[in-house]
Amino acid sequence: MTSRERVINLFKGELIDRVPCFSGMGNVTEEGIKKLGYRFADIHLDAKMMADTAATTYKLFGFESGVVPVDLCVEAEALGCVINVYPHAEGILYPTIKEKLVHNEDEMDVKIPADLANKGRVPLLREAIKLLKADIGSDAAIGSYVLGPFTLAGQVMELNDLLKLSFKKADKVAKLLDVMADAIIIVAKEYEKAGVDFITVREMGATTDVLSPRVFKSLIQPPLQKIMKELTAYSVLHICGKTNDIVTFMVEAGPTAISVEQKNDVPETRKKLGADALIFGNYDPYNVLVSGDEELVRTTMRKCIDDGVSAVWPGCDIWPTVPPRNMMAMIDEVKKHGGKR
Amino acid sequence: MVDETRKNEVLEKLRNGVIQYDEDACREGAQEAVDLGMDANEAIFEGLVAGMEEVGRLFEAQEYFVPEILMCADALYAGLDILKPHCKQMDLGVKGSVVIGTVEGDVHDIGKNLVKMMFDVAGFTVYDLGRDVPLDKFVEEQLKTDSDLVCLSAMMTTSMVGMPTVIEKIKEKNPECLIMIGGAPTSKELADKWGADGYAQDASNALKEAIKMVAFLRKLREEKLKK
Repeated sequence: MTSRERVINLFKGELIDRVPCFSGMGNVTEEGIKKLGYRFADIHLDAKMMADTAATTYKLFGFESGVVPVDLCVEAEALGCVINVYPHAEGILYPTIKEKLVHNEDEMDVKIPADLANKGRVPLLREAIKLLKADIGSDAAIGSYVLGPFTLAGQVMELNDLLKLSFKKADKVAKLLDVMADAIIIVAKEYEKAGVDFITVREMGATTDVLSPRVFKSLIQPPLQKIMKELTAYSVLHICGKTNDIVTFMVEAGPTAISVEQKNDVPETRKKLGADALIFGNYDPYNVLVSGDEELVRTTMRKCIDDGVSAVWPGCDIWPTVPPRNMMAMIDEVKKHGGKR
Repeated sequence: MVDETRKNEVLEKLRNGVIQYDEDACREGAQEAVDLGMDANEAIFEGLVAGMEEVGRLFEAQEYFVPEILMCADALYAGLDILKPHCKQMDLGVKGSVVIGTVEGDVHDIGKNLVKMMFDVAGFTVYDLGRDVPLDKFVEEQLKTDSDLVCLSAMMTTSMVGMPTVIEKIKEKNPECLIMIGGAPTSKELADKWGADGYAQDASNALKEAIKMVAFLRKLREEKLKK
């Protein structure tokens, strides 16, 4: 069974030989970038470099997916925000939004550019997906990700204002989130056309560490539902932080699978959602994978599997300085232990 | 002599103004405190900060979430802006200055701003470098201002990893300077490993830590007044 078959079968709810070890979020490694002789700051702006880099995690370590993009700014940039890729940075700095689109409450009536599918780096991403698929797509699952509507809104305008308005003027925020959902759908459709197997919707900003479950249900769930309904590729909904109180709402949004991080109590989530629900998670990609030793990596992988995850999958982007031996240990342990359930 | 009943009414107004995120009430209460000739420090600590302490409790009880806290903070500042010019310098032996900012690669500043608020309240001199701050800037600013404390914030794993470099550089040049790190991906273990002196995991924790600190100041102040 190839990695791709394993992942696709998992999404389909068909038989698999073991739990897969993959991610729908960023997973490029310094090791991979170094092997190619690229610089981190450059891979965001060149389709070939992006695709080459994304393929290395599969090629070097047997990680079971290849994912582009690497940063979180594609949609905001296409909508008109200005990004900073820190072109001269020596180390690893992820691109951020330098200039927002909405500067105050009166500018919240955002219009989607007529040709969003060809704005910013959306065409570059299309190209990168095609290259990545041609390179490793017969063996590994090809994924891409978009932001969730609230997280994207937090890039398009001041997060501080967005949070306060989500309380004071929920109607106005709901309207903005609906527009964000439309923009996300347009971008995700392009990724689907380019051939991705699955799309992860990363709604990091709407965690219960920040918003109440009640606000999640009333304000965040409807635009998420809208997005999930439109997607034809398999979909994963990821939310950071403490998610136990909202896992049911996450499932109701309609993704094929949900993704939770290390703060989620997976046995409890499994109990709540039942045996058939696809729950991806939930190791700490920094404190375990980067700064932990091999033993911690192995015990954590076993714990994820024993807790009942459907796929071993990180709680966030894998930080590029991950030691190669830990990547190896992770995949080795999932191979050994992931079929025993 | 300020009428006790009237004074308590004003303190109550300030306290409730913060809890109910009512900026107007805080502004009014602060102005009344000034007009009555009340001690501005008392109005801040017994009114505004007492309200923020309650907000911290509501947050812990999951009755309030971050949006409410941000609105409470706005209300607190509305009162603080009026009261601050009337403050006599407090002599609590904890006067201090702090350099604070979110590290380069990160544009999130909510947690940082909440911590900053409590430093403002406590009468610290705050050098706020903002967000997405190049690492060397923290070192430069600390040297320039000789501040007692440097607070580094990061919301994302992807930006947190710059922290140890800053800590090392500052400690090398000025071992006395205390360093606090904060943000979702940080941990006590990382703080220890990187040689930071304190840590707060998220906006709420940062707020709790900062409230604890200010509540401590308030207690000191009370004890001093008793003497």
